[in-house]
Amino acid sequence: MEIVDLSTLPDSEARYTEFLKQVCEKHGIDHAAYAGMNPAAGTVAGYVTYGDDWKSHYQDQGLIMLDPTLHMTKRSIAPVDWSRLERSDNFQRVFRDAHDFGLSDQGVTIPVRGPYGDIGLLSATRDCSREEWKKQLSHVIGDLQSMAVHIHDTVVSSDEVTSSLYHPTLSTRESEILQWVAAGKSQQDIGDILSISHRTVEVHLRSSREKLNALTTPQAVGRAIGIGLISPG
Amino acid sequence: MIIVVDGLNRHLFSEVLDEMFELRARVFGGRLGWDVNIQDGKEIDEFDNLDPAYVIGLDDGGNVVAAVRALQTTGPHMLSDVFSAILCGEAPIRSATMWESTRFCVDTQRLNRGKDKNSVSYATCELMIGSLEYAKSAGISDIITVIDPVMDRVLKRSNCAPYDYVGETVPMGKVSALAALLDCSDERIAGVRDFAGIHHDVFLDEEKALAMFEAKKTANSNPANRDHKPLTDLEKYFVEQMNAAKTEAERQDVLRLIESLTDTFTPEQKTALLHTPRAFAHEA
Repeated sequence: MEIVDLSTLPDSEARYTEFLKQVCEKHGIDHAAYAGMNPAAGTVAGYVTYGDDWKSHYQDQGLIMLDPTLHMTKRSIAPVDWSRLERSDNFQRVFRDAHDFGLSDQGVTIPVRGPYGDIGLLSATRDCSREEWKKQLSHVIGDLQSMAVHIHDTVVSSDEVTSSLYHPTLSTRESEILQWVAAGKSQQDIGDILSISHRTVEVHLRSSREKLNALTTPQAVGRAIGIGLISPG
Repeated sequence: MIIVVDGLNRHLFSEVLDEMFELRARVFGGRLGWDVNIQDGKEIDEFDNLDPAYVIGLDDGGNVVAAVRALQTTGPHMLSDVFSAILCGEAPIRSATMWESTRFCVDTQRLNRGKDKNSVSYATCELMIGSLEYAKSAGISDIITVIDPVMDRVLKRSNCAPYDYVGETVPMGKVSALAALLDCSDERIAGVRDFAGIHHDVFLDEEKALAMFEAKKTANSNPANRDHKPLTDLEKYFVEQMNAAKTEAERQDVLRLIESLTDTFTPEQKTALLHTPRAFAHEA
């Protein structure tokens, strides 16, 4: 696989690292990193908020070949707390070096599996007590899951090969609900109109947002109208 | 007790997984009559090769009594593929915070019908608690689960009624299949816990689980339990001596003799002879 250095493109570097910085700020995390593997396009993409000194050390030492937060975590469906990887020699090797650059070995990696064998990994790290970390994680993990899928889908669909495959297909229920949202109805109203639970409406909306790669419902409505999946108002 | 086996630790639990695949063959191939692929007495499909997570229920002896499989809905999963009939050809829900659960099964042969620790009801509730808590800790808020109508009734009876359904109930084998929605909320988990009277942590950590399986293996290889392996002449001799012993002093003499032949016996044989000499009586 060829490593695409997307950071050479001024547009995307600003875009993705800015997104990761926002995630850090929002959730009180020291650093965040995204790595994506796209076998359909044969590419690997990576964005990090780490300093340049660590980035070049990581590259020079070929740590990408060893890093268990990249190679092991994709075999889990759940976020992997790095304490699960501690016993591997490669973990000790990578994080001994990381320690010299002031980086903590406390973190989590969220694996994302896409429909075409594509895999995305969003990692977050923070230097704090174990108890504090566990507590923080339980609060933010749901949102980090959504952020992981969002950045992954954005990266994958920015590739020409996969973007031609990656077109959103909403179910009848999903477009129906989105159409009611466009008509100004609340989730409660929509549940009543369609005789389904309020939570079912929420679940379908969440799914529609993800399929349309939108973080908010208004964005999703806008995109659905834009590509003709629903009609305006 | 519940253990979670995934792509990171499955190499440590291959025997447990085999036991689970055998249970699945009995339940889905046998009892439910689904069109599943069974080889070597194990039911394994293509989704088992995608590194899913298995939440597995064990009894106190370390036997698999219940299991369920979880996959992310962002990538390949059963509703997007083999169960598409349930969705009537509609696109499946795709969400970062929703997992799909399939192959929920409980060993109704090994377990009883009561409500105690070895009952179907207890094992079912413990597995539900384990999978809901595992999902919740992963940041998952909802589960879409493919089940049969019997399981649907079990969920309702156990204070864990689905909040809604997606698609239709379609015929599948001897029964039918449907897709139900469950939230991974504290309320739901508390509801099942109250119903089953389970208030402790249901998870067994990896190290304790490995120690338990090791102990189970040792127990199975113990001569006292090896029903089919014939005894050596020397073992038979001691069993006969033990049976013939009429006083405590005579018994002690036999034990001392066994003790003195340490080099002749493996440690397991020796322990078995010393502790359970009468177990050999029927074979001698």
